[in-house]
Amino acid sequence: MSSTFSGLEVAKRALNTQQSALYTTGHNIANANTEGYTRQRVNMSQTAPFPPASRNRPEIPGQVGSGVEVGSIERVRDSFIDKQYRQENSKVGFYESKADTMSKLESILNEPTDQGLSSAYDQFWQSLQDLSVNPEDSGARSVVKERANALADAFNYVDSSLEDVRANLKNEIGVNNSKINSLIDQINELNGQISNVEPHGYVPNDLYDERDRLVDELSSYVDIKVDYRKSSGQPSPIAQGIATITLVTDNEDVENDDGEPITLVDGSAGADLGSDQSVNHIFSDFDDDNNLKAIFFDSPNSDLTVEEQTAQLAADYDNQAFIYGGNFDVQGKLNALIDGAGYLDGFSYDGTDTGTAAGEINEMLADIDKMVEHFVTEFNAVHQTGYTLATDQDGNAMQGGEFFTGTTADTIAVSQDILDDVDLIAASSTGASGDGGNATALADVYTKRVENFLSYDAGDANQLDDKATIKSYFESIIGEMGVVAEESNRMYNNSQILRQQVEESRQSISSVSLDEEMTNMIQFQHAYNAAARNMTVVDEMLDKIINNMGLVGR
Amino acid sequence: MRVTQSMLSNNMLRNLSSSYQSLGKYMDQLSTGKKINRPSDDPVVAMKGMDYRTQVNQIEQFERNIGEVHNWMDNSDSALSEVQNGLERLRELAVQASNGTYEEGQRANIAEEVEQLKEHLLEVANTKVNNKYIFSGTATTGNGGKEPYQLDGDGSFVNPINNDDVTIEVSSGTKIRVNVEPDSVFTEDLFQDLTDFADMLKDENASEKDISQFITEIDGHIDNNVNARADLGARQNRIDLIENRVSAQLVTAQDMMSENEDADMEQVIMNLTSQEAVHRAALSAGSRVIQPTLLDFLS
Repeated sequence: MSSTFSGLEVAKRALNTQQSALYTTGHNIANANTEGYTRQRVNMSQTAPFPPASRNRPEIPGQVGSGVEVGSIERVRDSFIDKQYRQENSKVGFYESKADTMSKLESILNEPTDQGLSSAYDQFWQSLQDLSVNPEDSGARSVVKERANALADAFNYVDSSLEDVRANLKNEIGVNNSKINSLIDQINELNGQISNVEPHGYVPNDLYDERDRLVDELSSYVDIKVDYRKSSGQPSPIAQGIATITLVTDNEDVENDDGEPITLVDGSAGADLGSDQSVNHIFSDFDDDNNLKAIFFDSPNSDLTVEEQTAQLAADYDNQAFIYGGNFDVQGKLNALIDGAGYLDGFSYDGTDTGTAAGEINEMLADIDKMVEHFVTEFNAVHQTGYTLATDQDGNAMQGGEFFTGTTADTIAVSQDILDDVDLIAASSTGASGDGGNATALADVYTKRVENFLSYDAGDANQLDDKATIKSYFESIIGEMGVVAEESNRMYNNSQILRQQVEESRQSISSVSLDEEMTNMIQFQHAYNAAARNMTVVDEMLDKIINNMGLVGR
Repeated sequence: MRVTQSMLSNNMLRNLSSSYQSLGKYMDQLSTGKKINRPSDDPVVAMKGMDYRTQVNQIEQFERNIGEVHNWMDNSDSALSEVQNGLERLRELAVQASNGTYEEGQRANIAEEVEQLKEHLLEVANTKVNNKYIFSGTATTGNGGKEPYQLDGDGSFVNPINNDDVTIEVSSGTKIRVNVEPDSVFTEDLFQDLTDFADMLKDENASEKDISQFITEIDGHIDNNVNARADLGARQNRIDLIENRVSAQLVTAQDMMSENEDADMEQVIMNLTSQEAVHRAALSAGSRVIQPTLLDFLS
């Protein structure tokens, strides 16, 4: 026979359990708008029935149930969707950042408008045409000088603006590094807390939520993989365990130059969870031109500033694990910033290779420099074949000198001689003051084929295509930039839509529905009420036994 | 699929923001009048846009150059017409003087007029337009800063005359000569002949025959002048044709530019209006869906 009071115990268990369920419902409702919150569910289970199967069990027919208990409180979440979400999130981070960089480039080059480089060129062309019509006119000459100045200024401006964007992007990389490092630290911290709770059989749902939220955030900066290890002690079977986070690209581990995977947060059994030793921070080593040389992964050293530690790691590169900037292809915001700001391709610390600057802005600068170099060289060459208004000692017209100095967008300028004396502009091709033939030839430089250049050297790999003109080359720079920007925008949109869909499925599983919670609340409340009623019935039953039994005839 | 409040509100926010984005795009198009604002909107349109802009610019410049061509040619033509008048007067004088009935004193008067006409032709030869000597080839600022046409005592040129073509580009690659070749009109012969003519008139021993030979000479110069004017006229005709072509090109280029990058206003306004309607609908739908929960109906 079971105990006389077991009915009370059954009712009490029911009350406790329904109460827990109501509290959990309350917790869900309270966190309906908390970012990263996963709804929780109380797993109720029946307690062991009486009598248990045993040798000296009482001889009663059948087993009597003994009520309910809270088995566990579990997060309703699908870890597969988390993985998908993080993959897409890395792509969104990458393309968002890339689209942003490209849009800055587009604004700087400002084409097609009436204020860009090509319109500065058109105006210069016009002034040269005016000069060819009025070659003896000092007014026309001054206009040529000023328009040439404006053109040089436009190139200088584009160059310095691009350099500014580069410097900003480099700073952004620094900010991103510290953000990533801070996320890594926080995840590591949570790993430590979780490892303290789990061995006692508890399931720290809210810590999991926070950790998942941080991992989600981290995934927008770099593509990562999360592995879990069971805590020691007596963890609950639904406990999630300790997370180890490694860098991946296309689902493959990223290897450092020693061929080892890169672990950001180490949750392995040997790690001292929560300490600096179990994390690898990111340290970016730049050269003087803000090009990324390599990324180091190492435990932070609180005695050193980030700069000091980076310098130390780079100096002692033989003993450190790192990835060269050119080899870093982990999708995410960080990579897009590196692609934009620039890195050294083929660089090596052992001095065998100094590397070439690569990346969107570096390439854009190189393209524009190439255009400036061709333009200045050819323009000067044509200018030097012409004659100026000035005369030498014998009274003969002098030949033109250099018109532009400098061969890069940064250094191009109108030569000081021309600035001082506009008569030194060589408009004439014969030496006669009224001949504007050379001015026309100068105007043609922008639109004539490179193969017709006086200074063209077909053997030089750095030369423009012989069918190209400076103008068409510039158009192709803009077109290329437009296509890259268009693609980044499109990919940004697409990856965002994909991430939204995944987020939608995740929300569909994990987010709190108030209607549902209200329904559950009613359900649990009724169960609670019914259990209380049950207790009253048992109470009345006991009252009958204790106070009213054996009073026959009285 | 399970749908929750937070999903609804997230979706609503997302829809509203994409709706705002479309509104922004149409507003941009409407206020700039352009289909695209940056190369990434449409790289091909952007590249073509740069090309068309340059083209329009160049054609406008060529129109300006053609104005300058007219300036040269019209001034040359009127100068040549003065030369024509001068030469005709000289011919009359030669005919008169060769008549034989004129006395010495009268011949001297004629010689005086011939001298004056020679000076006049010299002045015409030194015509300056816009500070340029137009009958001096490419030496438009004169010879070493001095007037191009100067005669020494015996009537020959002090300086060699520059006989080069002054050319102006009037459309891409087409250059047209705008000046009259000096040695087709203002030849050394012309001035030599006039000097000789005056000398002959002053010469007491000059016979009628001696004088009448100048009629032929002057006829030759008149011929030269007429030929130069005809040549100039032909070029003026050609420049008129080119001018028509260039202005037609300008219209075409502007058309193409506009076709390429200008927004179709009616379409944009329609798009904007329908987007606005969609936006209103989204707002009103949102406000209905977001509000009620089961809570509102439980008591």
